[in-house]
Amino acid sequence: MTGHPPGSPPRTGRRRFRLNSTPARVWALTMVCVVAVTGLFASAHTTLGQARTGLDVLGRDAGPRAMATTDLYLALADMDARMADVLLMGTGHDLGSGRADALDRFEASRRQANEALLHAASLTEGDSVEERTVQAVLDGMGSYERHASRARLLNDEAQAPPGRVDEEALEEYRRATQLMHTELLPKAFNLGLDSSAIVRQNHEEGQRSVAQGMLTVGAVGAATIVALVALQLYLRVRFRRRLNIPLLAATVGVLLLTVGVVITLELSNGYQRGAKEEGLDAAMALARAGAIATDMQADQSRFLGDPELADNYQQVYLERAQQVLFRPAENLDQYYAAVDEVADAYPELPGPDDPDDDDPGTLGYLGERAQGSLLPGQEDALAEVLETYERLHAADRDLRAAARDGDLAAAVETRMSVADSRDGTFPAYVAALDELIALHRTTFVDGIARGDAVLTPWRLGLPVCVLAVLALIALGVRPRLAEYR
Amino acid sequence: MRLRHRPAAAAAALVLGLSACSEALGEEVSVLDAESITVGVKYDQPGTGLRGPDGELTGFDVDVAYYLTERLGFPADRVELVGVTSAEREDLLIGGEVDMVVATYSITQARKADVTFGGPYYVAQQDLLVRAEDTDIDDVRDLEGLRVCQGKGSNSARRITQGLGIRVEQTDAPSYGACADALREGEVDAMSTDNLILAGFLAQAPDTFRLVNNPFTEEKYGVGLPHGDVRACEAVNKAITEMYQDGTAGQLLETWFGETGLDLVTSVPQFEGCP
Repeated sequence: MTGHPPGSPPRTGRRRFRLNSTPARVWALTMVCVVAVTGLFASAHTTLGQARTGLDVLGRDAGPRAMATTDLYLALADMDARMADVLLMGTGHDLGSGRADALDRFEASRRQANEALLHAASLTEGDSVEERTVQAVLDGMGSYERHASRARLLNDEAQAPPGRVDEEALEEYRRATQLMHTELLPKAFNLGLDSSAIVRQNHEEGQRSVAQGMLTVGAVGAATIVALVALQLYLRVRFRRRLNIPLLAATVGVLLLTVGVVITLELSNGYQRGAKEEGLDAAMALARAGAIATDMQADQSRFLGDPELADNYQQVYLERAQQVLFRPAENLDQYYAAVDEVADAYPELPGPDDPDDDDPGTLGYLGERAQGSLLPGQEDALAEVLETYERLHAADRDLRAAARDGDLAAAVETRMSVADSRDGTFPAYVAALDELIALHRTTFVDGIARGDAVLTPWRLGLPVCVLAVLALIALGVRPRLAEYR
Repeated sequence: MRLRHRPAAAAAALVLGLSACSEALGEEVSVLDAESITVGVKYDQPGTGLRGPDGELTGFDVDVAYYLTERLGFPADRVELVGVTSAEREDLLIGGEVDMVVATYSITQARKADVTFGGPYYVAQQDLLVRAEDTDIDDVRDLEGLRVCQGKGSNSARRITQGLGIRVEQTDAPSYGACADALREGEVDAMSTDNLILAGFLAQAPDTFRLVNNPFTEEKYGVGLPHGDVRACEAVNKAITEMYQDGTAGQLLETWFGETGLDLVTSVPQFEGCP
């Protein structure tokens, strides 16, 4: 080769230490390329790892734990609902699905609440605010059970007929349900919200760090390409060669690697977001729609069993119903009509007729879900939920009409048929809701699995690609350096 | 030389681009990040938020506002309280003139479209205030045919007429204070709104008024925050939980309403959740 520049004649012995000799420059540029490739490996490896961890935390740790905390509220609300039913039934042991069934289910919910509490206790270790909340619910459970079982005992002893809860038993039950609604249920609900907040924080932090990592990978990848092109051009000028094929291959390899990793990260971030928003968040919102409705339908029993507080129980029934599905309504008659309208119009949703209208639209847990984008199967399932919800309120209308007309027996019978665990309107609503929740859980699990699936090939792929690029660089540079030996 | 400079320039451009992007990737802005915080409270409601002759704001909401902002990391000297009316709360919050509203501000679905609510920090209930000598009003149903006063723009009377189907003669006064005056003068037979507000008036004139103490609807007092400020909302919820756990909420309720005979709930309310 005769390509020595005039100003830097090769001088053996010193050339490797001086940048003005050609082989030293080749070496230096090569080292820059190797460092850049190593940097690319490091940043890609770290970010892919972060993406994997994010999916893992959401899919197998914080996500399922958050789902579990919503069980606590449901179990507690169900306990109080069953107890109200048992008291309302009185001596009518065969009403609806029967007293024994109601007591069995009370017991099952009690066990479930205890399990959910123990679970919550294990999760909240280290957070003193939440720990105290769990402890307070544990303590409250004990006194709730004492009041509730005493109410049952008094009502049994008094041989209270259906619909006419014994006065003393009622006093005791009021204490129990008051405790449930001021001490236990709010705290249980808030614990669920806390775990949602933890999921959100983890998720957003993860998404942010992956997005930042993605930029780093892109930048390091671009810098690597620049270094490789610089090396290529230098070799071309100095050695008057055409293209250095191995270096070109290495450049293309780095380009593909960078683009591939960035696309993978983007995809996995997208799958994770989908799993959280369309899967977990939706499933949790619907689980809350089930839990609050459980408490709501029990207000029918409380309404019938406690005439003195009937106005209040009717009012809270409406308030809870509006949390589940909100339409503007000032009383139950308006609300029944609004629910009919929603169920009939779905998938269209009633809303303000003109922009100045102060109708905020169809909201609440079900309404907000209905506004989101749904897959075909989910849309059918939600339609079924709305229909069963409509039937539940149709039964409520009958129940209150009978009560207003003084036909207590018919009202109690309607109530017990709503709660009938074999074919009642409330269990039908729960079944429809569970089906929809299951679909969203599937979306969640699938999203996590897809995210994992796009990340997995890189476990082996990344080191192999990087080694191949390094080998190509060596292959491209070695013959040129050999000319100086 | 040419070749050496280009990568440097490219790298510099990349670094610049990178930092610009990562700023865009940062967390959403929150009122928590500011140096100081401005909180809107009522100034015309005894017990909850009232401006005294010395210009000082006092009341349950005022104390709650100080407790919460302290938990959020703002010492009292970095908290500015502003008196707000019901009508202007929303606009001030949306316009950014206040960062937070603690002003007997009920959480409703309609408001949630513009405001993110932390809490509720208390669930008040609608009740009735009557003259002390009118002992035969025990229940909202006893109002049939009587004159009921409500503050302008309030929904309280509709809840009685539409919600419960009780026929009453409805009077709208410009403020709750004006309602209280009308009640004292015998121009109306009852005033109806949230029991915390009624208890505030009762505490001012315990011999003139009587609280019926038979509530019929729930009013969830929320902490109004700029729409979408989820971080602040979650932090507020945590602070409210602590306010109840450490007994502060109970003490404050006792301080402001203890002598009115109002049934006070001293355990943490069920939160709305941060969307």
